[in-house]
Amino acid sequence: MSNPYSSFKASILSVKPQTDIDYTFRLATDLKVSSGQFVEVSIPRVGEAPISVSDFGEGWIEMTIRRAGKLTDVIHEMIQGKHLYIRGPYGNGFPMDKFKGKNLIIAAGGTGLAPVKSIISSFNQGITGIKDLTLLAGFKTPADVLFRDEISKWHENIQIEITVDNDDTGNWPGGTGLITGLIEQMDIANLEQTEVIIVGPPVMIKFSYLEFIKKGIRKENVWVSFERKMCCGIGKCGHCKIDGTYVCLEGPVFNYAKAEQLVD
Amino acid sequence: MDINTKQLRKNAFRVTKNRGMTALRIRVPGGNLEVKYFDVIKKVAENFGNGRVHITTRQGFEVPGIPMEKIPEVNRMIAPILDGIETAVGVEIPDLNSGYPAAGTRNVSACIGNSVCPFANLNSGEVALKIEKLIYPNDYHVKIAVTGCPNDCIKAHMQDIGIIGMALPVYDSYRCIGCGACVKNCRRVATGALSISNYKVKRDHRRCIGCGECILKCPTSAWTREDKYYRLVIMGRTGKKNPRIAQTFLEWVAEEAVMKVIANMYQYIDNHIDRSLPKEHVGYIVDRTGYPVFRQEVLLGVDLGQLGRVAESINFGGYFYERTNIFG
Amino acid sequence: MGFEFTMDSFNKVLEDISKNFIFYAPRRIPGKGAFSDTDVVVYQEVEGFGQIELDEKSRFSPKEVINPITQTLFYFNENGYTEPETNNKGIIIFCRPCDANSFKRLDEIFLNNGPFKDSYYESLRRKVKIFVIECVQGFENCFCVSMGTNRFDDYDAFIRVAEDRITCDVKDNLLPAFVKHGISAEMRPDFISENAVKVAIPDQVNKTIFTHEMWREYSERCIACGRCTVVCPTCTCFTMQDIFYEDNHKCGERRRVWASCMIDGFTEVAGGHDFRPDKGMRMRFKAMHKIYDFRKRFGYNMCVGCGRCDDVCPEYISFSNCINKVSALSREVNG
Repeated sequence: MSNPYSSFKASILSVKPQTDIDYTFRLATDLKVSSGQFVEVSIPRVGEAPISVSDFGEGWIEMTIRRAGKLTDVIHEMIQGKHLYIRGPYGNGFPMDKFKGKNLIIAAGGTGLAPVKSIISSFNQGITGIKDLTLLAGFKTPADVLFRDEISKWHENIQIEITVDNDDTGNWPGGTGLITGLIEQMDIANLEQTEVIIVGPPVMIKFSYLEFIKKGIRKENVWVSFERKMCCGIGKCGHCKIDGTYVCLEGPVFNYAKAEQLVD
Repeated sequence: MDINTKQLRKNAFRVTKNRGMTALRIRVPGGNLEVKYFDVIKKVAENFGNGRVHITTRQGFEVPGIPMEKIPEVNRMIAPILDGIETAVGVEIPDLNSGYPAAGTRNVSACIGNSVCPFANLNSGEVALKIEKLIYPNDYHVKIAVTGCPNDCIKAHMQDIGIIGMALPVYDSYRCIGCGACVKNCRRVATGALSISNYKVKRDHRRCIGCGECILKCPTSAWTREDKYYRLVIMGRTGKKNPRIAQTFLEWVAEEAVMKVIANMYQYIDNHIDRSLPKEHVGYIVDRTGYPVFRQEVLLGVDLGQLGRVAESINFGGYFYERTNIFG
Repeated sequence: MGFEFTMDSFNKVLEDISKNFIFYAPRRIPGKGAFSDTDVVVYQEVEGFGQIELDEKSRFSPKEVINPITQTLFYFNENGYTEPETNNKGIIIFCRPCDANSFKRLDEIFLNNGPFKDSYYESLRRKVKIFVIECVQGFENCFCVSMGTNRFDDYDAFIRVAEDRITCDVKDNLLPAFVKHGISAEMRPDFISENAVKVAIPDQVNKTIFTHEMWREYSERCIACGRCTVVCPTCTCFTMQDIFYEDNHKCGERRRVWASCMIDGFTEVAGGHDFRPDKGMRMRFKAMHKIYDFRKRFGYNMCVGCGRCDDVCPEYISFSNCINKVSALSREVNG
């Protein structure tokens, strides 16, 4: 009888601050992960939480973790060479096969960029089969922008629009305003050949979706990722269940046609 | 008309403003009465009184408008009440047909208690009956009341002896799901004696007043009650000198300790009462002797048990009419 | 096979099999009710049949025997972690048919939901034998007949208590002890065929019911205490807790503790967003799990109709009445 709650030690290869409260941790592990999946990360005696994998490669995974509670506070104190415990990966990621040969638009709000970062990275490496990628990202202020270094490189291959709700620096080179504004300004050439991913806070998902629908996108081509409280990741603890749907088992990525049926 | 008013008063009748007219006071210890006695009270009021009763603050009945010469007949009529209420609980009544043998120690009142109230930690009425047996008949002027929890619905804090039921909450951490209902509620309605540490609950016994709220709020029975305990508050009063609420004398003591203290208090009164006065309230005796003397004498032979605590000193406070000048 | 016993001879059976089994049964604990001078009936270890409470429905269900309220999953020290040791003794649970049916529902969640089996649950569950105590009249608020859980045929022993005699139907390899102390007797299990409370289960629950204003009543009435879920024999939700020992911060444990979808915090994520703050919506979520979405997943309803939720609600909210309201509404909505 194997214990599905057993975690294994993974050493921290690097820690990279993205903002004051979002750090990216690269862990050494052979886990086979797909974009959009999550792992249960823990520190014994402190706690365990589901964290989406923000990127992965041969022998490593990355998670971009926001400091938001007891466990993540302690994780943020960890340095290179220390260990975290992980188990997983869990859940269904993005349907990468469906995206092949299509134009993909990603609309990400705040930390919602983390679970889709690996899609963008692998697109840049030319291994996704996605025809064309557009990234729309919204953050609260310039200081909240994630993956700055990567974004500057992504610009070469990807159309990127970044907006902040509030430019408190006065010298933000990008746009200001809500991400829905960016969607509104989009000119989506080939509706049938376009898939959309929306990731971010619930309200951002809802209004972004409505904008895409106005543009003529069909809901069957919209994909979202849900964040819910989870204690097990394997369909037992019940916290992530929405109606009859276990986010950990059937999500966290949902097609919008399914997602809109889910009433919390 | 030649009436010995001292005897009349001792017989639970009152000298009223209407010359020759009296009123009978009926004790209802614990405030809990079988309704069949209403028939007796009704008969007294209709046959000898003015057809009305007054419900007293101490949970008794006062039947006014009785001509003093009817007292012997009234006393014969209330024999079933004395028999059914007083002798039934073990009070010794010398002659059932001669009415109440004493009126100094007032009716022992009680809240409705745990036979009805979910908050009560006691069957207050039953405790009142035990006390009635212990202290009645007695001429010393003492007021006693029993209340089931620190909400103190009976106003035990306005008595010479106020008895407050306490529950000792015991905690089974295995059964606790960390919902926090007890902690939040204790902070909101009681003393904030509970806190959460490592997802489980800690109780600060020094802050806990034994109200039992945590037990009531617990969905899993992680909190349960163990044994019954009592808080004793003393020397609360109204009056024309120094109205004040009672102060805690003992807490976390068992019923036997409460009973022993009450019995000892009558001996203390006997030792110190000023016999030159027509009557002296026990509270004023304590004012004269000081709390330490009271404490020493009433605790004679009292087993406080493992948890029992005694107030080291008491400042009764309250206010003094003659010293208070708030009107400039 | 059927057997008849006196109280004494049945206790001898228990004594014989106690070498290999621990017995759990509803037991009256005097003075441990929430209100003073009241008792509580809970599932606890018993040694003899006389300790079993037969006259009152237990407040808590037998689920806690195999789904402990607080269960340590790992012990941590500086070097790593270990799992708690388990004991090998079997478990015999004395329970009523509704509760006997509840174990199958727990199995679905812990063993069959998703690709992983819950090993902690499984190690306890596989040791369980079920001794069903016959229900003759049922209790207040019971609606097992409506849920189809009045019957339970998969028992290891079925026990009928009449006067001071116990008759049993035994199916199991425990037979030798029964043969040794009992007299052979005809025994056919009977099950309740009617409850005072009847519940209609809706076939289809239209989506409009999920957001219907009927739930608003519960937003006002429910106090989110979670009693209905902790007494429910089929509620399985739990929360993980990591702790360190106060006298040695380097050691600690990870444990799981029952959780309740009715209690604040159940759907709250780090950062503070709560996905289901409204108590009416929580009531809907719980009710649908019990009578609808579990069925879509596993083919039968989760609720076993024991009525404990109705027994314990301090606000007198009736789950069975709520389900009847849902049914009436779905008939209306579905035409």
